[in-house]
Amino acid sequence: MDFAQPLIESESVTTKSKIRHILVKPSENDDPPKLDDMLVEAANQAASNVFGNNNTDSSQYPERVIPQSEKIEENALVVIFESFDNLDFCYAKSGEIFNNRNGHFHHDDFIGKPYGSKIRSRNNQGYGFVFLLKPTPELWARSLKHRTQIVHELDASMIVFYLNLRPNMVVCESGTGSGALSHCIMRTIAPHGKLYTYEFNGMRAETARQEFAKNRVGHLVEVLHKDVCGKHGPGGFDRPQASVDAIVLDLPEPWAAVPHCGHILKPNARLASYSPCVEQAQRTIEELKKCGFHSIKTMEFRLKEHYVDEVEYDPPPREKRPRLPTHLGPTGKSNTGTKTATDAEAEKQEQEEEVTKGQPAATDQASSDNATAGSKRKKLLVTRPFAMMRGHTAFLTFCTAGNTPQPDPNQ
Amino acid sequence: MSESNDVVMTTSQTSESDPLMILPSNVVQEGDHVILVFGDGRQLFAQCLKKLRGKAPPVKINKRTYPTFNLVGLPYGTVVEVGSSKLHPLPEGEDVIPKYPDTNKKGDDSNEGNLEDAEATAADNTFPSIEQANDNRDLVDNNTSQQLQQRQVEKMRRTGMEGATIVDTLIENSASFQNKTEFSKAKYVARKQLKYQQRCRIVRCTPSSLCEAMFLKEPRKMLNLREDTLGQILSYSNVCAGSHVLVMDNCMGIVTGALAQRMGGYGKVFSIYPGQQPPYVDMIARFNLNFAENSSIKWVHVEDVFGTPQGETPTSAETEVDEEKADRELLEWPCPLQDHTRAHLEKMESEKEKRDFLARRCARFTRKLTRGTPGEAKEMLNARKCDSVVIATKHDPTQSLIELLPYLAPSSPFVVFCEYIEPLAECFRELQEQRLAINLRLSDTWMREYQVLPGRTHPSMNMSQSGGFVLTGIKLCPVTGINDLDEEIMKEIKEKMGGRRGKKSSNKKKGGKRGRNDAGGDGERGQKSRRVEGK
Ligand SMILES: C[S@@+](CC[C@H](N)C(=O)[O-])C[C@H]1O[C@@H](n2cnc3c(N)ncnc32)[C@H](O)[C@@H]1O
Repeated sequence: MDFAQPLIESESVTTKSKIRHILVKPSENDDPPKLDDMLVEAANQAASNVFGNNNTDSSQYPERVIPQSEKIEENALVVIFESFDNLDFCYAKSGEIFNNRNGHFHHDDFIGKPYGSKIRSRNNQGYGFVFLLKPTPELWARSLKHRTQIVHELDASMIVFYLNLRPNMVVCESGTGSGALSHCIMRTIAPHGKLYTYEFNGMRAETARQEFAKNRVGHLVEVLHKDVCGKHGPGGFDRPQASVDAIVLDLPEPWAAVPHCGHILKPNARLASYSPCVEQAQRTIEELKKCGFHSIKTMEFRLKEHYVDEVEYDPPPREKRPRLPTHLGPTGKSNTGTKTATDAEAEKQEQEEEVTKGQPAATDQASSDNATAGSKRKKLLVTRPFAMMRGHTAFLTFCTAGNTPQPDPNQ
Repeated sequence: MSESNDVVMTTSQTSESDPLMILPSNVVQEGDHVILVFGDGRQLFAQCLKKLRGKAPPVKINKRTYPTFNLVGLPYGTVVEVGSSKLHPLPEGEDVIPKYPDTNKKGDDSNEGNLEDAEATAADNTFPSIEQANDNRDLVDNNTSQQLQQRQVEKMRRTGMEGATIVDTLIENSASFQNKTEFSKAKYVARKQLKYQQRCRIVRCTPSSLCEAMFLKEPRKMLNLREDTLGQILSYSNVCAGSHVLVMDNCMGIVTGALAQRMGGYGKVFSIYPGQQPPYVDMIARFNLNFAENSSIKWVHVEDVFGTPQGETPTSAETEVDEEKADRELLEWPCPLQDHTRAHLEKMESEKEKRDFLARRCARFTRKLTRGTPGEAKEMLNARKCDSVVIATKHDPTQSLIELLPYLAPSSPFVVFCEYIEPLAECFRELQEQRLAINLRLSDTWMREYQVLPGRTHPSMNMSQSGGFVLTGIKLCPVTGINDLDEEIMKEIKEKMGGRRGKKSSNKKKGGKRGRNDAGGDGERGQKSRRVEGK
């Protein structure tokens, strides 16, 4: 993914300014300092004020930018967009074919094409098609093969946001699961941050490790095959005390990992725990309080997605109500007087005919009404919430570590 | 002057001296903007300054002003208690709701207000059991049980009595405290503490804390952008260190600042502004951005993106001279003194006067030397396609997006925020009709906080109903993103499919939301094309 590529540096306004610390020779006698020396001192001071961090060398501030991969290259990860809720991926390899229900798609047709292209199937006369997209952590989460429950994009974005993640942070995560959240974290801590992700299932740990390598994000992450809760043997993260900027727990028993978190987190660093059940959150919070965490907040987020439709509404219908004839018209039969049984019978038949004849006439009438009312039809752009939504994912508990270092629970 | 250093350009390597590797300090620095978060949820902005220099407003709490100099040097997360003239830092472990150790005191009852947070914390500190000894059966709600007069309480406060003592006295003088349920006792104590023993925590300004505080304070001014929505904007836009992101921000600069912070000084945030000067200086300052983050914000003028009003001729690129840039390039660090300046300095009496003058001069020059111009920003914007476009504007979202899309690289995401859904619906349809983008998603968020306590877990009684709407999508390649079959083939396929394609539905709904952009078969949903393939 793009975020994992080394940045390209180039000259910036700041590097061109050539601002740097200038050595001043200390004056040898008690003479009043020379104006030029005073100037240099003032300049040094101004430089360190502007840059902060006592770093006064402007050459440290070039423009840095990620290289932009525009075209699909051999071995590149490509997200295949089949439909709104049907995404897949492949690594482009010449000679290979991607098959789905829309057709056969040849990787040779991908390679060299820009991302964002629409590709036609080689079979069924190109009737089927897919879009080829550049991978992002969000697209990846939608296309990867689930090995476990994953943290979906809304919760993932909330975790990254409320943990105040930023470039070059050190983050711990457990468990790794399918690695969906891991990619989101890595995007934000690149280029020199590090994600330590812990998974006690050996298979999953190994699969994740390989996947990270294939997605070329391996340098940002270390997958550790370990039980952080320490059911059998010491748990924890094996990181030095107060060395980690943030922790995410997505575990069945997060509370068991909390004392270890208290130990390795830096002062005032943040922790997030993701638990589907409220009992998990409750027990975790009890433990968090014991370990010096504060500002504990439990949240729930739901994504409400909407369709967009264009509707046209007709004005309320106007038409004639079908009526029974009140007299029998010019046949001359009287409404008054006695009726024979056959008379009544005939009458009924006649009426039925009338009714069935009348109906199409009425419809014709209505549709011509509509045609004339066509200009009065209102066109509206409307939105409608999806019929179904993810009603619950998890309770997200966020908190802040205290400023006193916590002891190592393994000791 | 020392010899000039040649700037060596390499690809990024971790280096110890790289200033971008330094994370913000955990200790409040001189000049830091902080948020004071109170036990009852109130949030105040404050700037921590040792010297007021006449400009820094001290923080105002309950109509009283307090200096902030003593907050400089405290670790973030410290709780301070609001005294009569000073904010007193408390030792580690203290919370914004004080622990209340002794419950066997007299007290009264009052209406059970909605003080969830306070109640939660206090109740939890003191009354861990769910089983209750007392209940409310003998409770009399007549507000007569407090034997202290309001005047007496006010006097205690004025004389600077410690908050904890006032709370104790109130409890001692309450006739009905003893008979209350444990929960009501806790609530009572918490309520009194919130009033007479006010405390707040020093919280770092981050995109989440800042946006939350602003949403509480002035939501209208930032188009009702709730913090969770900002969080989604930051993720869905796929920004990372080194991105180029083009942003249209009418949310007081919160989006611009948040993007710059998320990118940690790597890359460029092109923020579009109208008028004379880059706006939102105050809000951006609250992010406590470091030098690199600050200079990653490149202010681009609206003219350079959207052009000039109709009828006005735009300045042609050839004739335009970037005077600000030319000016800057004439400067040379550390700006040798010119003769008249030297003469002016010589005339000064004291050394201090000279030093002050030089300090001001150098500060001005350093700022000038490191400041890019709008012209340069425009050049940079045009030199490379952006990795994302973010729109959170009071202007027409559809038109804004359509005009900004050409700056976006194909297959890159955009995010449009709006406090209303209708403008985004229009934008959605337009993108679909022009086939500019794919993976269009229009959403908002339901966000709820919970009180989680043993036996008493429940959602918060109040919640925000809307944090705004978000439309996201991915730009298609303008050349290869539309790849229609020619009419011949389409006709042939249609014939092959025979009647299956069916008649046009009499339903007057047009387009549906997404059938059009779904891959699969032209004009049909995926399932149908599968049937074709099966043959
Ligand atoms: C729900 S999944 C995590 C999904 C992940 N957040 C994602 O977005 O793809 C939980 C993972 O934690 C692992 N796990 C459970 N208990 C663990 C423990 N004590 N130590 C390490 N990993 C554990 C499980 O094997 C499982 O793969």
